Amino acid sequence: MLLCIITVTSSFASFIHGVQPEHLSEVVRNRSKRMILDSIGVGLVGSTTRVFNIALQYCQLYASNAVSSVYGRKGLKLSPTLAAFTNGIAAHSMDFDDTWHPATHPSGAVLPALLAASQMLPPSSKPNGLDFLLAFNVGIEVQGRLMRFSTEAHNIPKRFHPPSVVGTMGSAAATAKLLSLNVTQCAHALAIAASLAGAPMANAATQAKPLHIGNATRLGLEAALLAAWGMEASPLILDDIPGCSGFSAFYGDYRPKPLPLPANSHEFLLEKQDVAFKRFPAHLGMHWIVDAAVSVRNLLINYSGSFSPSLIHAIVLRIPVSKYINRPFPASEHQARHSFQFNACTALLDGKVGLNSFTDGCIHRRELTELLAKVLVEHPEDNIANFDKMYGEVALVLENGDVLTGRCDTFYGHWRKPLSRESLLNKFRSNASHVLPDNKVNSIIATVDNLENLPDSSQLASSL
Amino acid sequence: WGVCLMTPTPMTVTENFANVIHGLNASHLTDRVIQRSKRMILDTLGVGLLGTSTDVFHKVTQYSKIYHSDASSTVWGHSDFRLPPLYAAFVNGVAVHSMDFDDTWHPATHPSGAVLPALLALSEILSQKQKFSGLDLLLAFNIGIEVQGRLMRFSNEASNVPKRFHPPAVVGTMGSAAATAKLLALDQFKCKAALAVAASYAGAPMANAATQTKPLHIGNAARHGLEAACLASLGLQGNKQILDMESGLGAFYTDYTPQFLPTLQSYSWLLDQQDVAIKRFPAHLGTHWVAEAVSSLRKHLVETDDSVPTSRIKKIVVKVPVVRYVNRPFPNSEHEARHSFQFAACTALLDGSISVQSFSDQKISRPELKELLSKTKLEHPADNKPSFENLYCEVNVTLQNGKMFSERCDTFYGHWRKPLSTDDLKKKFHSNASSVLSVEATEGIIETVDNLEKVEDCSVLGAFLKGTQSTKVLSKMCLP
Repeated sequence: MLLCIITVTSSFASFIHGVQPEHLSEVVRNRSKRMILDSIGVGLVGSTTRVFNIALQYCQLYASNAVSSVYGRKGLKLSPTLAAFTNGIAAHSMDFDDTWHPATHPSGAVLPALLAASQMLPPSSKPNGLDFLLAFNVGIEVQGRLMRFSTEAHNIPKRFHPPSVVGTMGSAAATAKLLSLNVTQCAHALAIAASLAGAPMANAATQAKPLHIGNATRLGLEAALLAAWGMEASPLILDDIPGCSGFSAFYGDYRPKPLPLPANSHEFLLEKQDVAFKRFPAHLGMHWIVDAAVSVRNLLINYSGSFSPSLIHAIVLRIPVSKYINRPFPASEHQARHSFQFNACTALLDGKVGLNSFTDGCIHRRELTELLAKVLVEHPEDNIANFDKMYGEVALVLENGDVLTGRCDTFYGHWRKPLSRESLLNKFRSNASHVLPDNKVNSIIATVDNLENLPDSSQLASSL
Repeated sequence: WGVCLMTPTPMTVTENFANVIHGLNASHLTDRVIQRSKRMILDTLGVGLLGTSTDVFHKVTQYSKIYHSDASSTVWGHSDFRLPPLYAAFVNGVAVHSMDFDDTWHPATHPSGAVLPALLALSEILSQKQKFSGLDLLLAFNIGIEVQGRLMRFSNEASNVPKRFHPPAVVGTMGSAAATAKLLALDQFKCKAALAVAASYAGAPMANAATQTKPLHIGNAARHGLEAACLASLGLQGNKQILDMESGLGAFYTDYTPQFLPTLQSYSWLLDQQDVAIKRFPAHLGTHWVAEAVSSLRKHLVETDDSVPTSRIKKIVVKVPVVRYVNRPFPNSEHEARHSFQFAACTALLDGSISVQSFSDQKISRPELKELLSKTKLEHPADNKPSFENLYCEVNVTLQNGKMFSERCDTFYGHWRKPLSTDDLKKKFHSNASSVLSVEATEGIIETVDNLEKVEDCSVLGAFLKGTQSTKVLSKMCLP
C-alpha cells in the first residue's frame, strides 16, 4: 500500500466515503429529521412564489429525462439537476429556511439534490431511508467543517453568500455519498463543485437570492455526477496553496484542517450545534428584533391600554452593523424580508410577523410607512453581527418623554431555545397545506419521522 | 403610495452598462473591431472543433445528454445528436477551452470561448421565429467581449496573471450574459437584471487550472451567462447595482473601482485598441514566450532537423515571472503539461517546436524529456512582471563542456504586438477543423466568417459546425 500524504482535501474525501450510518448519533438523527421536515415545508410553500415560477418556466424548456419531482407540482417532473434547482429556489424563496452557526442555510442546499438524485437511480439501487439520512448529514457536516476554516465565516457575511460557497460543496458531498462514489471521486466532486461555488452578497434581498440555494444544490449535484463520470479536478482544492487559490479564494483568512477519519467515531457538528428554525419568512436577524418589538408593544399596551402609534415619538432599534439588512424603507418583499426597520414596525403594528406581512398591500400600508419614518438605528458596540452573539432591542420614545424598552437575546426558534416538536409540526402543516391536501401532509410527516426505516428513499421525493 | 423618491437617482455603473448593452448597434462597430472579432470567431470555432476530440469534452457530453430533449442546438463536430441550448453552450464552451488553445486578452482572460458558444446555441433555437444576421451575431459577440474588458479594468489586480479566481469564470459569465441579452433584444431593465443574475453564477478558483476541470470554467461561463439572460427575460431581477457594489461583482476582487462606459455617441471599443493573442500551440500563453526563446536557442545547438543530444546538456535555466500555476517541474497529465514552463522549454528544445501532438501521453512520458526536465530550473528575475503585456522569457542552456547559450523572447508570434497573419490564422483553423469536419464544411466556415457582416442568416454556421456535407448550406448564406 502506498503511503499517502494526508491533505485536507483527501481527508474530506475519506470522510465522505467512509462514514457510516452507525456514526449518526441519536441527537444528530433527530435534529436532521427536523431539518428535513422543515425544509420540505418551506419548499412547498415556496412553490407558490413568483421567483419559483420564473425558474420553473425556464427549466421546463429542458424537460427531457424528467424523473425528479418538483415541490407542489403533482405530476410534473424535471431532469434531476433542474428539479434540484427549482426546489432549492423554492426552499429559499421566502427566506423561511433554517439557519446555522457559523452562518449559512444548510438544508436547502442539500435536500433538493438528494431528493432529485434518489429518483434518478434505478430501482435496483435505490438508497434506503438511512442511507438518505446519512447522505443528508454528510452534506450538512461538510458545510459546517468548511466554514470553520475561516474566522470571517463566523459573522454575518459581507462578500460571498455562504450558501453559494459551502452549500455547493455540501450538496456535492451529500450526492457523492448517496451515489456511493469512491474516495477519489468524492475528492473530485468537491473540487469540481468549488468551480461552481460563490455568489456575491449584493443579490441578497433581491429576487435572485433564492437562486443561490437553487444553484448550490443543483451544481453540487452536477459536480458529483461529473465526478461519477470520471471528471477530474484539483486534488488540493481544500488545501491552502499560496499564489493559486482553491476553495480559499472565497475567504480573506483561510486555515483548513483535516477531518478526523471516521474510523471509530465521528462527532457530527450538528450534535453540538443545532440550527435555528424561522417562525416567519424573513432573515434570521429579524427574529430578534421582532421578539423585542412584540415585548415592547405589550409594555405599551399595558402602559396606555392599547397600541397607539400617535403616542410614539421615535423608535430606536439597537442592532448589529450589517448593511444588507439595514433598510429604512424597503420597496419589495425581498427587501422587506431583509429590513430590521420593516420587521420591527410590522411587529409593533400587528403584534406579529407572518407570511402575509410581506404582501404588497402590507408592505405599502400608510400606518406602516408612518411608523417607519419614526425609526432611528443604533449600533451598540456590544451587538456583534453574529448569530450566536447578537441581540435586538427596541426602545419606544414616547411623546411624553417616557421610554419603554423591549429586548430579545434569544428568540424562540434559535438553537438556544429550539422550536418544540409541536411548533415545528405546526409550521410544517401551515406551509405544506398551501399546496398539498391534509392526507399528503400527514404522510410526509410520518415518512420523515420514520426515515431510518424507509426501504426506498425515493418515496419521499415522489410524495411531494 | 408608499415612500417614493421622485427625483431621478444618479445613474449607477450598472445602469450605464445596461444602457450601453441595449443601445449599441451595428453602426457602432468599426472596421478594425469587425476584422479582429472575425479572426477571434474563426479561431474559436477551430479550437472548439479540435477540442471535441478530448476526454473532457466526451465526459461533459455524456453528462449533458441525459438532459437532451427536443433539443435544438448544434454540438460542434457532431451531426449524430443535438442538445438544448444551455447544454450545447456548455459542451461547446468546454471544447473551446479543453486544450488551452483559445484566445487570450489583456487584461488576462479567454474572451471568446465564454461568448461565442452561447450566442450560436441560442441563435439556433430562436431562428425558428426570427432570423439573425451575421451582423447581429458580430454585434452581440463584440458586446460580450467589450463587457469583459471593461469589467476587468475595474481592478488593478486583473492586469496580472490571476491568483485567486479564474478570470473567464468571473468576467466571462458576465460577457456571456451581456451578449445573450443583446441577442434577445432585452430592454435596459432586463439587461441590468441579466448582469445581476449572472454575477451570482460567476467565479471559480484558480486551483482547478491545470486540471481537467479548467475547461468547464469557460463552458460554465457561456452557459450560465446564457441562463442568466434567459431568466432575466422571463422577469427575474437581481441587485440593480450589481456592478457598483463591493458586495456585488466587487466580491471577486480585492481592489474594485467601477467606472462608466463611454457614451454611445462615439463609442470606442476596447478591441480597437487592444487585440487578443492567438495561440500557435495548445498551452498556457506564458509558455509561448518560452517556446520561441528555446526554438531560437536550439538553432545554436543543432541543425533544424537533427536531434538534440540531451546528454550534452548540463543545465537549462528558464527565466520567467512568478506564475505559480504554470510552474510544474514534472507534469503528470496533459493538463499539467499545458501549464508548465519547464515542459514547454524541454519539448521545444527536443522537437524544435510545440504542437498539438506534443501533449500526448507518449510524448509527456518519454525518457529524453524527463531527462531534460530534471536539468531544468526556473528563475524569476525581479523585472519580469506576471502580466501578458510585459512578461518576457530568457533561456540559458549550459553544456557539459561549459559552453553557454542564451536567447530571449519579448514578443512571440501570435501575441497582439505581433499578430498572426491571416494566412497563418486560417492554417491553424484548417488544421483544427479538419480533424472533425469535411473540407467543404471547413471552407464553408472560413468563408462565412470572412463575410460575416453580409451573411443574412447566421444559423448557417450551425449547419457547418455539425458537419453537414451539403451544398444546400452554402446557398443559404445568401452572399451577393
